[in-house]
Amino acid sequence: MKKTINIKYFLIGLGLTYFASSCVDLEEKVYSQITSDNFFKTDEEFISALGGAYSSLGGLGNHSGLWSINEIASDEIVVSHKGGDWFDGGVLLQLHQHEFQKDNPFLNNTWNFLFGGINTCNRLIYSFEQLNNANSPAYIAELRTLRALYYYWAMDAFGNVPIVTDFTSTEKPANSSRKAVYDFILKELNETIPLLPTKKDGTTYGRLTKWSALTIRMKLYLNAEVYTGTPQWALAAADAATIINTGPYTLNPSYAANFAINNAGSPENIFVYPYDKVFAGGFNWVQMTLHIVSQSTFSLTDQPWNGYQTVEEFYNSYIDPAKNPGTQGPVWKGLALEPSTGTVDGRLTNFLVGPQKKADGSVLVDPGVEVTDVTGVKGDPNGPPLTFMPFLNEISPGGLRQAGARIAKYEFERGGTPNMSNDFVIFRLSDVILSLAEANFRLGKTAEALALVNQIRARAGGLQPFTTLTADNLYAERGREMYVEMTRRQDQIRFKKYGEAWWPFAGMNRPKKVHAPGSFLEIFPIPQPQLLANTNLKQNPGYN
Amino acid sequence: MKKQGLLILCFFSLLAFSIGFSANAQQARITGKVTDAGTGEGIPGASVLVKGTTRGMVTDLDGNFSIEASSTDVLVFSFIGYNTVEETVGTRTSINLTLSESIQGLNEVIVVGYGTQEKKEITSAVASIKAEDFNQGTVNDPRQLLQGKVAGLNISRPGGNPNGGFNIRLRGISSFGANAEPLIVIDGVIGASLNTVDPNDIESMDVLKDGSAAAIYGTRGSSGVILVTTKSGKKGKAVVEYSGTAATENVARTINVMTADEYRALPGSNDLGSETDWFDAVTKTGVSFVNNLSISGGNEGTSYRMSLNSRNVSGVGINSGFDQLNARLNLTQRALNDKALFTVSISNTTADRQFGNDNSFRYAIITNPTLPIYDPNPQSPNFGGYSERDIFDWFNPVSIAEQNISDGREGRLLASIRGEYNFTSNFKAAVFYASQRETFWNGRYSPKTAKFGGGFGRKGLATVENNERLNDLFEATVNYDKEVGKLDMAFLGGYSYQEFFNQGDYTQAGNFLTDAFTYNNLGAALDFANGLATVYSYATENKLVAFFGRANFNIDDTYLLSISSRYEGSTRFGENNKWGLFPAVSAGVNVANLVDITGVNALKVRASFGRTGTQPGDSYISLLRYGRQGNFFYNGSFVPSYGPVSNNNPDLAWETKDEFNIGLDFVAFNNKLDGTIDYFTRVTSGMILPINVPVPPNLFPTTLLNIGEVENSGLEVLLNYKAIDKSDFKWSVGVNFSTLATNLRSLSAGDLSFGAVNYRSNFGSPGQNLTQLIRVQENGPLGQIWGPIQTGVDEKGAPIMKVIDGTAKDASGKPVYCNCDADRAQLGTAYPTINFGINNNFNYKNWDFNFFFRGSLGHSLINSYRGFYENTESTTVQNWNVVKTKYFDPNIKKAEYNSSHVEKADFMILDNATIGYNFNVKQGKSIGKIRTFLSVQTPFMFTGYTGVDPSVRYQDPENGDPLAPGIERRATYFTTTITTLGLNLSF
Repeated sequence: MKKTINIKYFLIGLGLTYFASSCVDLEEKVYSQITSDNFFKTDEEFISALGGAYSSLGGLGNHSGLWSINEIASDEIVVSHKGGDWFDGGVLLQLHQHEFQKDNPFLNNTWNFLFGGINTCNRLIYSFEQLNNANSPAYIAELRTLRALYYYWAMDAFGNVPIVTDFTSTEKPANSSRKAVYDFILKELNETIPLLPTKKDGTTYGRLTKWSALTIRMKLYLNAEVYTGTPQWALAAADAATIINTGPYTLNPSYAANFAINNAGSPENIFVYPYDKVFAGGFNWVQMTLHIVSQSTFSLTDQPWNGYQTVEEFYNSYIDPAKNPGTQGPVWKGLALEPSTGTVDGRLTNFLVGPQKKADGSVLVDPGVEVTDVTGVKGDPNGPPLTFMPFLNEISPGGLRQAGARIAKYEFERGGTPNMSNDFVIFRLSDVILSLAEANFRLGKTAEALALVNQIRARAGGLQPFTTLTADNLYAERGREMYVEMTRRQDQIRFKKYGEAWWPFAGMNRPKKVHAPGSFLEIFPIPQPQLLANTNLKQNPGYN
Repeated sequence: MKKQGLLILCFFSLLAFSIGFSANAQQARITGKVTDAGTGEGIPGASVLVKGTTRGMVTDLDGNFSIEASSTDVLVFSFIGYNTVEETVGTRTSINLTLSESIQGLNEVIVVGYGTQEKKEITSAVASIKAEDFNQGTVNDPRQLLQGKVAGLNISRPGGNPNGGFNIRLRGISSFGANAEPLIVIDGVIGASLNTVDPNDIESMDVLKDGSAAAIYGTRGSSGVILVTTKSGKKGKAVVEYSGTAATENVARTINVMTADEYRALPGSNDLGSETDWFDAVTKTGVSFVNNLSISGGNEGTSYRMSLNSRNVSGVGINSGFDQLNARLNLTQRALNDKALFTVSISNTTADRQFGNDNSFRYAIITNPTLPIYDPNPQSPNFGGYSERDIFDWFNPVSIAEQNISDGREGRLLASIRGEYNFTSNFKAAVFYASQRETFWNGRYSPKTAKFGGGFGRKGLATVENNERLNDLFEATVNYDKEVGKLDMAFLGGYSYQEFFNQGDYTQAGNFLTDAFTYNNLGAALDFANGLATVYSYATENKLVAFFGRANFNIDDTYLLSISSRYEGSTRFGENNKWGLFPAVSAGVNVANLVDITGVNALKVRASFGRTGTQPGDSYISLLRYGRQGNFFYNGSFVPSYGPVSNNNPDLAWETKDEFNIGLDFVAFNNKLDGTIDYFTRVTSGMILPINVPVPPNLFPTTLLNIGEVENSGLEVLLNYKAIDKSDFKWSVGVNFSTLATNLRSLSAGDLSFGAVNYRSNFGSPGQNLTQLIRVQENGPLGQIWGPIQTGVDEKGAPIMKVIDGTAKDASGKPVYCNCDADRAQLGTAYPTINFGINNNFNYKNWDFNFFFRGSLGHSLINSYRGFYENTESTTVQNWNVVKTKYFDPNIKKAEYNSSHVEKADFMILDNATIGYNFNVKQGKSIGKIRTFLSVQTPFMFTGYTGVDPSVRYQDPENGDPLAPGIERRATYFTTTITTLGLNLSF
């Protein structure tokens, strides 16, 4: 029996030891995920962390975010309700008709995109401050500039957004006034501009430089009257002139080359987000705008969605010789089964219009439509052969499936996937030149302004120079040049045209709310989920 | 994973430890006779057992017995249908005693957590279903055995997909988390997969319904517990049993669409010159064969049961079905003077599956009936000869199912060993180790000619997926029983350790030179070179550790009290809140023992309270994690970038459920009527849900928090009545029903909320994305279907919606419909007010006949088919076919979700009807029993619903969201009727 007892004690001891060490231990063992415990250990991991701030920009090329709300709310783009397609709870119609609702998910996506980016910048600034190594000051300046860019977009879209710079704060932030946000961005840029790199080469491609920061500041000044009530034309002109005169950028002889699949070599692009179908997906305009059967034209891997279309009146501003004098030639117009005569603006590469073919050149057919009368009540007037016509019949419910010029600004890849490889242009020199023109025009220096506008017209190709410059033709030229580059809503507000009816056909009901300059509709409502998550946040005036 | 070795060490060390205590006492031989108290005749086959051991024997034909026992031993005499008697041996060498007949069912053994109890001792809501009461016919999933049998347990499988799973909900929605289904415990293995058990091997299924019964399983008990007991060998002659069935399966319900003639008559129709019945084209007659063979037997020391079960099933869908083989061994061995008992159970299941493709049903509904299946003309591009049209969201349904391959292979091993040692007649200890290994392989291929499934766009697309789910369980328990006068006490204490490990990989790649490889040669895909292939792998681990105990007190079988508690910790929670305490108390009084009530044979009232928990479905959710967020273009090349994908929440804690239950068990009218009535009310709080948080200060826009409170209450009634009980004719009726009321008390945490009103779910593409369907509202019931109320049709064919709010106005100041929450109304509720089952059993001489109805009343469904396709909008007509139910209105030309698409979905279905014949077998022949039967399952249904299946949808089939019930989606598998011919033999 003695032996048994010994074994007993041994076993009890063994049991207890085992028990204490492992049987009640509830630490989580992580295998295939990253926590702060197993990350941020090497230089590569820090560079990768810096990348987190930039890769947030990948949301720019998606459907339903910042780009969508800016473009659909402007007179460039509409997504009409096409029979059974694209009603989607009316959120796209609301945007185009300026019936902004706080529960529109596009607004919340935008907010999350912007403040996700801001917060990533704050987090990384804090990390680099803690790390405090040789690279820290440069990285911090770059991150502060990137944060300023996000804030510039946030202030432009939502106006009174909260300013948060302290990563360690756990307070739920309250709104700041649009003026205060403007001042904050300005202060940040003033401090970081001297610290940023000035080179234009592989090391700065896709990253913020002094020139990008100056462009942001120039845009702040250009819109200062809208943002603060006080215009700053001279300051805008000064920044624009600095970029043009001392920056490493020149106009690209080919307008279209700035948006080609391989546009990385553009001498004109100041700041881009480098998309890639393999490494950096998310640029899916090919899906948003092309027709379902366009899959066969470009041998795409996926069926596109037949959504985004160009507003006809906007398209017409290119081909109308009275508004845009130039070489006359065949262009697609209206219902357009045959070409009409109009101005052949070199920038018509922005659009895909006219009859569509399969990749092998044969006729492309949309079997879902029938030929009918021109009122388009029953089907598409151009019939089953797919023809993108500039004509738009109505916004809802019976939008024609083939209606509207499609967005072809960025070259489509043959055999492409839903993720385009073109680098997304955020800032480019042409915008800076036209901004200088506008600032000069506002300051009364009309001759200088006219020369700058004509510089852009000359590059476009096929155009005659303007002989006089008016607010209207400056506005129109900016529109043609900057189509779908997220400047139109700003331009419309600045030129006091945002609340006008721009689609003046019978029964088009756009906008439902014609509004005066300065209307509360010039900023979007703060999204409902944000108000619920943060009770310190107040809705923008005019919205409930 | 690596702990497996340690667990086994733990197991054997404790076993050795317990054996160390072995001791012997003086034994003597006791003889005697057991007789019937009423007739005075001997009772043959009665069990005589030394209490606290597995040592025992059965009485001979005259009721005589002889057994070795010591003076301190207690002998337990029992026989089915009689009250059990215990006698202490003392100085006696001869014991004669009488057994009296018991009241119906009260001695029935009920399996409860970590043990068994007799029905009369039960003080919580527990339902026990024995093999003879199971649903009949072709039953491939154990869940189906219980369908409609237990009040409050709702089991549904919309459609007839042979590979589809059943949804189980006990007492409504107690959790929004991952574990909304009851915990499965198979022969003591907690969290075992029901797919490791063949339905033919199940002896009984016991459902722990209330909080007090489930609390011993603490953290996973909130949605109830189903205890599965498999058949085991009995002492005596070896028994060989065979059962075999052959069955055919046919489509029962679809949705009505236009015929070719009706379609052609529509204005704007697109006559493609042919005539195809697409429902017929995508379905076939399913055939299945099930064969089961078992061998069981035993002697004094050993008993065993081995079984082999094969199932060959082909479903009604093209290329759908499975072949399954299951082998099971249950072995019991006594040792060490019968003081030790070892139980080994091993089950291995393999299944080869063909998944077919549910989307072939979806597109069959909307395919133009004048389109031929195969295109008579050569095509460019080549779609493999199938007619394809270049239309958004349309694919040839036959091509979908015939060209795309989706195969699966599963392996499941469940092995357990239990060692029990009786130190004394009232003290025993046991250790238990179980391991479950599940592996899943899935291969899919979409050829270059398949427009659906990515093959066409990707030039052939192959996917191969492997997933492994492993879990190891170690438990140790101690039992101590004590009698003090009329007070019986039973104590249980235990420790439980369970470790889960999941691992898997996924590869998807396209661009093949040829379709010949299908999914078997991934390396041939050019996508790897082009960077377009998708590859990932993962591994996760989690653990549960628990201490538990229970005390039962029983005074003279009249006053009963049970107290239990489980203290459990999970790795999945925040570091501040990993442990939770789950107590329970229940009490009952057998009133019939105290007062005589005319006509009442037994009556027990009971009440209970229990707290249970739910652990989340994923690991690591309380941690701040970083995830790959694309790539960052750095100095001329892309480097991967990482950013936060979650916020940390060190306070993340158990979701808890507190439940009160009062119940009544009774037997009346000379054992003819018995029943159970339960009323429960349960409050679930601290549900783990993602909620929007501001960024900054947070890193990620949503955080998982413990949020909100839901209250459920309901009444459950179960009645069985033996209407006729003669020797050659018997008729019994069983009825059960349950009601449910829900109330979402709160859906907020501090100042965070989803808003007073919040919508879930999305109708979908084309055109009805962001269309809100199910409203979630604080202080309102769950499952509210909301939408605009249609009042008419305008001149363009658009539905006119009712203006409710009136604040939105048109240019002339007239109130207009605003497409906002204010202009929506509740259109129905997703949950039924009552679920019921009605069973009838007849026995006439050698014949038996059984039919079973079940149903649900009061729920509604959103009929998605009608919401999208029951209109004559020109593109609908031009592109697709038109759904045409009794609600069809030719004037409606716009697909826009509204009140007209929400339908009452009350139904009653004949679940199964079986007629059987038992052949007379002469005594002494080698065959013991022959039975044949014919069974039909779901041959007809009473319902006014026009969609495919009026079954209750407890969650959104598209994303599993339990807050968005009540939607019939467009890819519902057609329902089926199964006719089965079967044969049972035993030797």
